[in-house]
Amino acid sequence: MAPRIVQNFRGGRAVIFAPDGGIIDVLDTTLHKLGISVERQRIPEGQSIVAMPALHVETDIIFVDGDLDVTACLNGHLTVLRSVPIIGLVGIETPGRLKALMNLGASALLRKPVHSGAIYTALFLGINAFMARRDLECRLEEHQRRRSRRRIVVKAIIILMQQGGLDDEEAYAQLRRDSMRARRSLEDYCEDYVNCRSTTTLDQSPTRIIAGP
Amino acid sequence: MFLAVGMVKNRFRVGLMFSTTGPYSIVADSMLNGALLALEEMNHSGGEVSFDPVVVDPGGSLQNYSLRSAELLKSGVRHVIGCYTSSSRKEVIPCFEKYDGLLWYPSHYEGFESSTNVIYTGAAPNQHILPLIDHLVTNFGPHAFCIGSNYIWAWENNRILRETIMAQGGSVLAERYLAIGDTELDQMIDAILDARPSFVFSSLIGVSAYLFFRKFRAACLSRGIDQPNQIPVASCNLSEPELAEIGEDAVDGHLSSSVYFSSLQNSCNKAFVANYAERFPDRPLTSADAEASYIAAKLLGAAVSDARTDEVGAVKVAVAGRWFEAPQGHVMIDPATMHSYLTPRIGRSKRGATFDVIMEEKTPIPPDPYLVRSGPRYGAPSSREHLWVAS
Repeated sequence: MAPRIVQNFRGGRAVIFAPDGGIIDVLDTTLHKLGISVERQRIPEGQSIVAMPALHVETDIIFVDGDLDVTACLNGHLTVLRSVPIIGLVGIETPGRLKALMNLGASALLRKPVHSGAIYTALFLGINAFMARRDLECRLEEHQRRRSRRRIVVKAIIILMQQGGLDDEEAYAQLRRDSMRARRSLEDYCEDYVNCRSTTTLDQSPTRIIAGP
Repeated sequence: MFLAVGMVKNRFRVGLMFSTTGPYSIVADSMLNGALLALEEMNHSGGEVSFDPVVVDPGGSLQNYSLRSAELLKSGVRHVIGCYTSSSRKEVIPCFEKYDGLLWYPSHYEGFESSTNVIYTGAAPNQHILPLIDHLVTNFGPHAFCIGSNYIWAWENNRILRETIMAQGGSVLAERYLAIGDTELDQMIDAILDARPSFVFSSLIGVSAYLFFRKFRAACLSRGIDQPNQIPVASCNLSEPELAEIGEDAVDGHLSSSVYFSSLQNSCNKAFVANYAERFPDRPLTSADAEASYIAAKLLGAAVSDARTDEVGAVKVAVAGRWFEAPQGHVMIDPATMHSYLTPRIGRSKRGATFDVIMEEKTPIPPDPYLVRSGPRYGAPSSREHLWVAS
């Protein structure tokens, strides 16, 4: 099921990687109106890496000024950055700066100077697009994990065909039914079955041939 | 335009931009009159400042709203009290930002906005629709039929109603929209009568709304339905001058959520009602829209007087956090959002084009334009998401 749309951001925290200055001051004011606390991260000049505060996956949103070297500085934190929504602040509209924000994982952009009327829209898109993307990534990972274990399922089907005198469709249906009855994924169930740690409801004899090493 | 020391009075021009012609002219007329009354009262009060109103009529055309705004601001006007529909407000805000003018917006609206160039003196959604939903569900039941004029006011109000009522286990049986000014209502009325909801929630505006009330009442009568009690119609935009437009046969029994009703019994409102009727004998009924304009003009006057200039930044500083004794009671501009603390009420219409106040908050309620404090974290689930089959 797709994640539900978030429309109220109360209790959130914005971590802003941008220089102080009027160009984004309106961001702080509007975020407070939306119930979001603001934490500005200092960016020491000439530093190749910036400090990253502990991030809270459920509440944090990161704003990154794409005009600075901060995108490069943040590259060292890519893994942790993947866990929270990122909104890019765009001044210089060049492919290089936009690509840097995209590579960080920005799911929405705010044009500088920041306009108060655009912030709710950027948050709405940034957070919900991030959640949708994370959901898709999780599903993809799950599908890949299941695909890599397909060989186990095939092995279990063959064993059941040999031992139960079933055709492949019947064997698959039987394994699926039994895995659901056991409230386990088909792959987990077949792995145990192949390793003789479980039996199907068709198995009559405890002397089933153990497959594999 | 700073006040010179020793001058008795300084005059400032104030734009009043209302569509006093076009499909929602009745409401706009009230708003214009409320602002005019306030400016005249201040001009005659003997204070240090006075105001020359510059009245423009966009005629309900969105394009005209931008043009008229630009003309006003380019001519040196810094403050404009105006707009009724949200689409017109959205149309002019870029212009106010470009010329750094201040729009005093005197209408209830759907929220989700907080422009630095707007002062909002009308009700935010937590001050109009949320109290109404509670009242409707408690007294009539949880099944709504939503109708409205096809623009943002109705869309957002219906969204808020849908999410709130579904969270309470209720339902929205249907939503139907008409173009502003459209009067083809028969299909909509048939659909309502077929659905038999607990109540109808109407965000129709202008002539569409007035005709709907008449036709719906007639359709219910012909079927032996006691419309006000069996299928009441509730709205967040029904005011006294509009009741007069509906006509005596269908005027009674409608519910309106508003921060002001002309029947309020306090000395400030009695003076407002009397002065308004004397000043505008052709259209003597006060309304929430007239009062919101009146508040906007009075607050503008007080802020200019305090700031001793009409410079926008100084006026905003002067008006933020300022309390004002309005016809509805205490009103204050919230410094954080530049929306107003207002007192939610629910009225039931009766003959004579007035409302009986049947519910009211004890104190003014802080505005929550983004429903940060009053709304759910998540939107309503899509109607397509009923079952997820895992395999």
